[in-house]
Amino acid sequence: MSNPDIDLRAIEQFLYDEANLLDNPDLDRWIELYSPDGSYWMPVKPDQADPLNHVSIFYDDRVMMEVRRRNFVHPRAASKDHRVRCSHIIGNVRCTGTTAQGDLIVTSNFQCVLYYRREQRVYAGTYEHHLIQEGGRFKIRHKKVLLINCDAPHKSLTIYL
Amino acid sequence: MIKTFDPLNPAAATIDDQQLAGLVQPTKLHRSLYISDEIFELEMSRIWGEAWIFIGHESQVKNPGDYYTTHINHRVPVILVRDRSGAVNVLHNRCAHKGAKLVDTVEGNARAFRCCYHGWTFNTDGSVLKIPNEAGYEGTGFDIKDPQNNLQTVRSASYRGFVFATLSATIVDLPEWLGGAAEVFDNLCDRAPEGEVEVAGGVLRYEHDCNWKLFLENLNDTMHPMVTHQSVVQAAEDYIATLPPEAVDQRAEAEIIPPFGASYENFEESGITGFAYGHHYDGGKTSIHANYSVNPDYWAAMVASYGEQRTKEILSFNTHNTLYYPSITIKSAVQNVRVVRPIAVDKCIIETWSFRLKGAPEEMLQRTLLYSRLINSSASMVGPDDLEAYSRIQDGLQSTGSEWVEMHRHYNRDEQLADRTVGGGTSDLDMRTQYQAWQAYMGRLAHHLPTGGDHHE
Repeated sequence: MSNPDIDLRAIEQFLYDEANLLDNPDLDRWIELYSPDGSYWMPVKPDQADPLNHVSIFYDDRVMMEVRRRNFVHPRAASKDHRVRCSHIIGNVRCTGTTAQGDLIVTSNFQCVLYYRREQRVYAGTYEHHLIQEGGRFKIRHKKVLLINCDAPHKSLTIYL
Repeated sequence: MIKTFDPLNPAAATIDDQQLAGLVQPTKLHRSLYISDEIFELEMSRIWGEAWIFIGHESQVKNPGDYYTTHINHRVPVILVRDRSGAVNVLHNRCAHKGAKLVDTVEGNARAFRCCYHGWTFNTDGSVLKIPNEAGYEGTGFDIKDPQNNLQTVRSASYRGFVFATLSATIVDLPEWLGGAAEVFDNLCDRAPEGEVEVAGGVLRYEHDCNWKLFLENLNDTMHPMVTHQSVVQAAEDYIATLPPEAVDQRAEAEIIPPFGASYENFEESGITGFAYGHHYDGGKTSIHANYSVNPDYWAAMVASYGEQRTKEILSFNTHNTLYYPSITIKSAVQNVRVVRPIAVDKCIIETWSFRLKGAPEEMLQRTLLYSRLINSSASMVGPDDLEAYSRIQDGLQSTGSEWVEMHRHYNRDEQLADRTVGGGTSDLDMRTQYQAWQAYMGRLAHHLPTGGDHHE
């Protein structure tokens, strides 16, 4: 699998930086990691093929990301009265291929401990990032978050994982 | 005064029917309705064990042997199954032998149901097919032909493909129970060029830390959107204001959100209609869903099926939320259905199902799924703010500062018609309608039309 053109260390660093912007929520800067056609997808079924012909927990394009980041800090969003705190751990980072558009497909495992509304929860699953390489920097064209319990009943989730 | 005794729940004997009925007054409700375990248990037997409860849709079990499992109230497990003759049955999910839950997967296809413990096997119509080593029963008085050895059938009925079941032998038949409110099921199905809908695109399950009734009360609560959803509406409007004129697609997408903060005047105009057995809807002539653009291919398919006049009639009947008390609420205009599954006095699960309009362009389903995700997902920007309010009510009602929750809006202004009560869109008519049904189920009184408030406290 080793490809001399791929700097796995740099990719890992990018994933950690992204996670940090969710751990210490700064959605304004987080969104800037995405390309203008970027999207964020959290399926509700383990083998879900697509986000348009099947319902999803999240499927945000830049439009919904732009609305969400404004809502996230709005003083009248009652569900945000409780600050959400997260701690992400990312591991098993692998480059697993390229997309038809030439984006790098990076797969990783994650665990996120989340504290919200006086309660601590654990989320775990797999990330799939489609990364655009631009002059040594990365942009996210697509991020898929597959929770191991995606098809279970879920409580309110007020932040991206 | 009739004393009640439920052998499964001896504690319930401490409240009698008259006291229960007294917890609902014409314009106020006692807080114990939301926080008492004892009342929750009684609701499970007297409302959820009596009313017609939504089980599933016939399209979930298209072929013989297809099954789907769920619960009638928070614990009675049932199987929705299409048998070999093509008939759709609701069966108790309990082996006739030792009582093991027979099917423990959500959905699938089976030629027969075989118990994992001793291998008793049942046909998909519930009849017993085979008992291993049957010789051991000879001379014991055991009779395999005794209907007790079949999977027991639950009384069920279907309305335009929507299957309901009841644990009651005495509740009126489904059409009478649905009453005039069935017109919204009709509208949902008539919006399909082929006159039928089918389940499509999966289900969302959202865990709510609140009493199940708080979710129901919110459906036609038109006084909350401009407050509870102000933040997301402003977030969308702020974003739209940054868009250049050529950003047509972005604008169209973001404009889905602002109607959720429609004004008091808009909601007032939409009206609320209540029926017997606690059913109600808001909207009719208009609703927050009235101004969605119509896909031209869809319009053409509808006109080909129904003609232009009838198509206009169907598409201009715009309801927002319709509740069939207590288990299912539908949005006919966007083909989205939510199902209520109570778990405990302070916990319920809300399922969101989406429906395809048979004969309509596929983009129509995509619009429905977009709607389900944006509004009803546990990660949406709308639902969590609603749930925050319900959870705070759940917490706040522990306060001993007052025993009552009020519901006065438009009291004595609602208008009583032959089969329904109608009022302004910001009326608490929906609350009064639900709780008259609650009172009738819980206090074992006759069900009648919501009175519109012409009796006095």
